[in-house]
Amino acid sequence: MINLIKKWLISLGSPPLFFKWASKILPWFFPISILILLTGLIWGIGFAPTDYKQGDVYRIIFIHVPSAILGQSIYLMMAIFGFICLIWRAKLAGMFLRSAAPIGASFTLIALVSGAVWGKPTWGTWWVWDARLTSTLILFFLYAGIISLYSSIDNKQKGDRAASLISVVGVIIIPIIKKSVDWWQTLHQPSTFTITSAPSMTPDMYLPLLICVIGFYSILFSILLNTLRAEILIRERNTSWVRQFLNNQIKE
Amino acid sequence: MNEKNTLFNWFKLVLKRDLVLSFKKIATFMVPLVFFLIVITLFPLALGTEGSFLSTLSSGVIWVAALLASLLAVESIFNEDYRDGTLDQFLISGEPTFILVLAKVLAHWLVTGAPLLLASLISTFFLYLPEGLLFPLLISLLMGTFLLSLLGALGGALTIGKTAILSAVIVLPLSVPILILGVAVITSALNGQDFFSYLYFLGAMLAIGIPGLCLATTEAIFINYD
Repeated sequence: MINLIKKWLISLGSPPLFFKWASKILPWFFPISILILLTGLIWGIGFAPTDYKQGDVYRIIFIHVPSAILGQSIYLMMAIFGFICLIWRAKLAGMFLRSAAPIGASFTLIALVSGAVWGKPTWGTWWVWDARLTSTLILFFLYAGIISLYSSIDNKQKGDRAASLISVVGVIIIPIIKKSVDWWQTLHQPSTFTITSAPSMTPDMYLPLLICVIGFYSILFSILLNTLRAEILIRERNTSWVRQFLNNQIKE
Repeated sequence: MNEKNTLFNWFKLVLKRDLVLSFKKIATFMVPLVFFLIVITLFPLALGTEGSFLSTLSSGVIWVAALLASLLAVESIFNEDYRDGTLDQFLISGEPTFILVLAKVLAHWLVTGAPLLLASLISTFFLYLPEGLLFPLLISLLMGTFLLSLLGALGGALTIGKTAILSAVIVLPLSVPILILGVAVITSALNGQDFFSYLYFLGAMLAIGIPGLCLATTEAIFINYD
């Protein structure tokens, strides 16, 4: 049993086998993830009850919270795969980093923008120097730094390892950043706008949010599989299996 | 010559070489210093010269200027040695790279970070730093600039052969806690609170950062020579 699992894990690390596996999964997983996402969004935006304090504006939560969660967890994934890339020099881990970084940056940006749109009607301003907002902004800058680092290095493998190193260092420093930003908030004058502590959510609001989060995760998984497939094809373009695959595609 | 071939000797050798080289070229310690002073001068020009206003901003302005100066100066740590091949020789010499990084960071800090402390002393007069804040400012800068040199070395090693602004983009988000803690030391001193707790935290970061960031820098150098 353990040997089987080991074999399976090792096979996932090899680009051609992963490519095959991803191609098998994507055709049915992608529609499912779209379905979950749409269910969550339609339920949340169309049918969930209106908040008695904020009105309908609160419905941004169904986009804002999942994308904020994703922005952080993609960074964590990148650090884990960066660690694997640094230690075992797994090619696929490096490719994962490269395809995950822009996605993570986009989700962080979505969280920031949707937060600003939400903040305007509720707090009366687009931006507050709140601890959470600030650390999300810094997370976005970290993503930007990683992307600009690996795109400036011509050698792909070196770029992968440099990006892995900085994401591993970053994930160690992120808790310190968060903690220090919290302190900084308490040191300065307390923010004029307090986030009204929301009344504990009813299941009518909580369930669609949960489904939205699951939907965002599954859509992320589909996007990742697809970009990884593209990345594998680009990187392995000189190998025989890619040529064979492409020839078959043309024939079909 | 019967020098024992110990780690400490290797450390001293690299340190001495880097220091001699930088003192031969006046630019290495002049440029960050002048950059720092120019940035300090820009603030009153942009924000106005009203004394009380400037003095509330002073500690933050000095910290930001020091951060920028020491992060932009990192280009000199590895780039020159990389260009003329000295770094290759260091690596094939068989001596531990970790010690090399440590010595180079210390040399870099002595050449760029330590003069910044003196320059910040001058800039306190320019910006009317409130009285009694000189000690917290200097001690927080002392620890902060060394941490920044360590972080900068990582950025410089990751971007060997490239511009300093790229390494600044990578390293600046990571240097946020250093800035916050450094300014927190001064702010709490201004409010009459005990500022040593923040200094302890900076010290803890230094204690983890010296081995941790040097290790990461070593790995970053190796990535370039794969």
